Amino acid sequence: MKNVLAWIRRHVNLGYIAAVAVSIAAALLIDAVILLAAGHNPVAAYRELIVYPFSTAAHFGNMLEYAMVLCLCGLACVVGSRVGIFNVGGEGQLLLGGLVAAFVGSRMSGMSLWIVIPCAALAAMATGGLYAFIPGVLKVKLKVNEVITTIMLNSVAAFVCSFFATSVWKNTRFNEGIDVSEFRFATLIPGSKLSTAIIGSALITFFVWYILQKTSKGYEMRLIGDNPRFARFAGLKTDRIVIAAMVVSGMMCGLCGMFRVYGAEKAFISTRVSNEYYFEGLMVAMIAQYQPIPTIVISIIFAILKSGAMGMQSVGVTIQIYWVMQATVIFCMAAQSGVMTAIRKAGERRAAQRDVAARKEGGAAHE
Amino acid sequence: MTDEIRFEHISMEFPGVLANDDISLSIRNGEVFALVGENGAGKSTLMNILYGINTPTAGSLYVRGEKVTEFSPKAAIDRGIGMVHQHFMLVPSFTVAQNIVLGREPKAANVLFDNKKAEQLTRELVAEYGLEVDPSAEVRDISVGLQQRVEILKTLYRGADILILDEPTAVLTPQETDELFEVIRRIVREKQMTVIIITHKLYEVMAISDRVGVMRQGRLIGVKNTCDVTERELASMMVGRPVLFDQLEKTGEPGDVAIEVDDLYVSDNRGLPAVRGVSLSVKQGEVLGIAAIEGNGQSELLEAITGMRKANRGTVKICGRDATGKTPGEIRAMGLSHVPEDRLSTGVDRAASVADNLLTGRHKEKRFNLFGFHQRRSSVERYAEELYEKFDIRGAGIRTEVGSMSGGNMQKVVVAREFSFDTPVLIISQPTRGVDVGAMEFFHTRIIEKRNAGAAILLSSADLDEVFRLSDRIITLYEGRITGEFRADAITKEQIGLYMTGTGEGAKA
Repeated sequence: MKNVLAWIRRHVNLGYIAAVAVSIAAALLIDAVILLAAGHNPVAAYRELIVYPFSTAAHFGNMLEYAMVLCLCGLACVVGSRVGIFNVGGEGQLLLGGLVAAFVGSRMSGMSLWIVIPCAALAAMATGGLYAFIPGVLKVKLKVNEVITTIMLNSVAAFVCSFFATSVWKNTRFNEGIDVSEFRFATLIPGSKLSTAIIGSALITFFVWYILQKTSKGYEMRLIGDNPRFARFAGLKTDRIVIAAMVVSGMMCGLCGMFRVYGAEKAFISTRVSNEYYFEGLMVAMIAQYQPIPTIVISIIFAILKSGAMGMQSVGVTIQIYWVMQATVIFCMAAQSGVMTAIRKAGERRAAQRDVAARKEGGAAHE
Repeated sequence: MTDEIRFEHISMEFPGVLANDDISLSIRNGEVFALVGENGAGKSTLMNILYGINTPTAGSLYVRGEKVTEFSPKAAIDRGIGMVHQHFMLVPSFTVAQNIVLGREPKAANVLFDNKKAEQLTRELVAEYGLEVDPSAEVRDISVGLQQRVEILKTLYRGADILILDEPTAVLTPQETDELFEVIRRIVREKQMTVIIITHKLYEVMAISDRVGVMRQGRLIGVKNTCDVTERELASMMVGRPVLFDQLEKTGEPGDVAIEVDDLYVSDNRGLPAVRGVSLSVKQGEVLGIAAIEGNGQSELLEAITGMRKANRGTVKICGRDATGKTPGEIRAMGLSHVPEDRLSTGVDRAASVADNLLTGRHKEKRFNLFGFHQRRSSVERYAEELYEKFDIRGAGIRTEVGSMSGGNMQKVVVAREFSFDTPVLIISQPTRGVDVGAMEFFHTRIIEKRNAGAAILLSSADLDEVFRLSDRIITLYEGRITGEFRADAITKEQIGLYMTGTGEGAKA
């Protein structure tokens, strides 16, 4: 028992968990005022917020599916930021990955699921990876700011996707859509969007965590992200590793798009495959300070909030109010790191003062 | 002489550190007082209290018999205290006069800056104190020695009669140091000023000060009349044990040439030529020292040799293999290790632990990897623990973040890693910058050990004493060219100083 406690203390940053909890509580308090001003009962609203995601199996499934998307996107961002490159283009990589995966599926009609799904996954990863390779190479070889290039490539991807899904690759009678319902992942919770794709996501999540935290490659990536000059000085092949990380980040996004198409939506319709989900994942990664395990945890918290928003709508809270709430939660969580530093400093100051006092008393006793 | 400044039982506590521990000290009117001690001994903290940057946790400070109640630089300046920091606080694009009056500018019509008046005031100051400097020159165009003079004039302009100089000679050539000392003597003699000088260099203490105070670990160990002590005694007081300075025994004969640089041209960050046609060679078992004032191409030269910077022309050979245009990793593989000039930006990953920093470069070795990819933390930590002991790194252990360590210990991490590679070629830049006397002795011993074991060492240091102590041969660099090459035992520091400023005989050619 004692060993367990000691292990927890060494490996779990309890202070960080407390700080996140406090920041969420602070956000909820602020939002309570907003809810009151809007004429709602905050207690009832919050009850729905918490209960709704767990109220039915379908709600729970949808919540988990969303957490999976956030987690994959968040970790994709973490992989890039670990080597000091900020992939803001995940949205485009995700959409293009989903599009190409859907195209592959739609052209392999009649074949075995066991061939089509891997083919679609590979196609999605290749597309996402390639689409991230472009800004990666530009950054490394020509020092082109990756934030600008990736954001611009997002727009390109969005328009390319809606073009192909509404015209040449369309295979439904609707305005837009590439139907792949023939080959979808098995649904895990009936009535929800949760499919076996979450098993793939869990494997990827574990894999990313393992590479970043436990291997020599992860070690090299950390050095490059912390101090690229030092990494080069020490003889690491920094250029190659940075490009590789960016490509892996893009591959994860592409695969996430494929999961959306073959797991949740059963078709490619750009606005449904991703509604700026990557940017929410990016937010998750930032709040988690680009650490893998906090990214997983905060993905789930965000998914609960998002799902709970639907519940609040059922008691009359409009979606706009929810957006305000979401923003305050993000704000408070982002502010959390600064607040934590301040608290730690105050603690150190108090300890120092106690030390002086103790020393003086000790000195007096000597005399 | 009367007491100008009196510290009574001053203590200063920072979180976790007692920087000043019950210090009582009197400094007399019209004397030059030297304050010496290792890094982190508390000298700067004590002077920052005098200058009002720190408020002491306990004790009192008296200036001219008056108890100080308000601690702020502004109040200190009003009391006539001036401080020249190690890193100058000048605006490079302003003229000398503009810098001097900054903060108390003469105004025309009460609003506009009066440049003529400023220059006139500067000229008056220059005449009064005999500190020659051109008021209308831009600060970025004048030498470091003159910039320091501007800093001193700035404090005089504000009416200082107590002057604190924090490591003033760290950036000066021997000639500039002599001039500075001349200035100090003059202002003390003619203007009755009190000067406190913080320094590492003990021969300077002997040269300039009337009395000397030694600090160690936050305590004042002793105050002596300078004429009553020797350098060796002071060094022992600082470190707390006898310092064996002259036991560097150089043995062995030079072997084959291991570093060969031929007609090398390198540009600096702005694209301007920094190294212009340098050729040199270093043999195994030999230390070649580079003596140069900062900014004369030595940094760019070493960076080009180690692959951190591209050369425009010329070749570099390491152990007989062509290293020109190769990456730092490829050059390291040829048998080179490198202690870089700036350890913070280049030598370490500050956010990583000591263990991770010691591992870099060896992290692909089999013993640290299971199946070739899984990092074996236990082996890593065992290895780090070994180096930590061997190089006498002091701190909170191998899991500490390197960024939280003192400069000396951080440097030990760098040296421990680089020396552990046991390469035939070592490029060492500023090995002891900001490092205390005890650690300096340690580094010097290690460098000579490497030399005696047959390493070819190229050394660059702003500290001329260091260059002299360690080198077999010395080259002087001035504006990117070699102006002279000497056997270390066949030349004096003063002569070298001339070549470093391009005025030696070699420069005429």
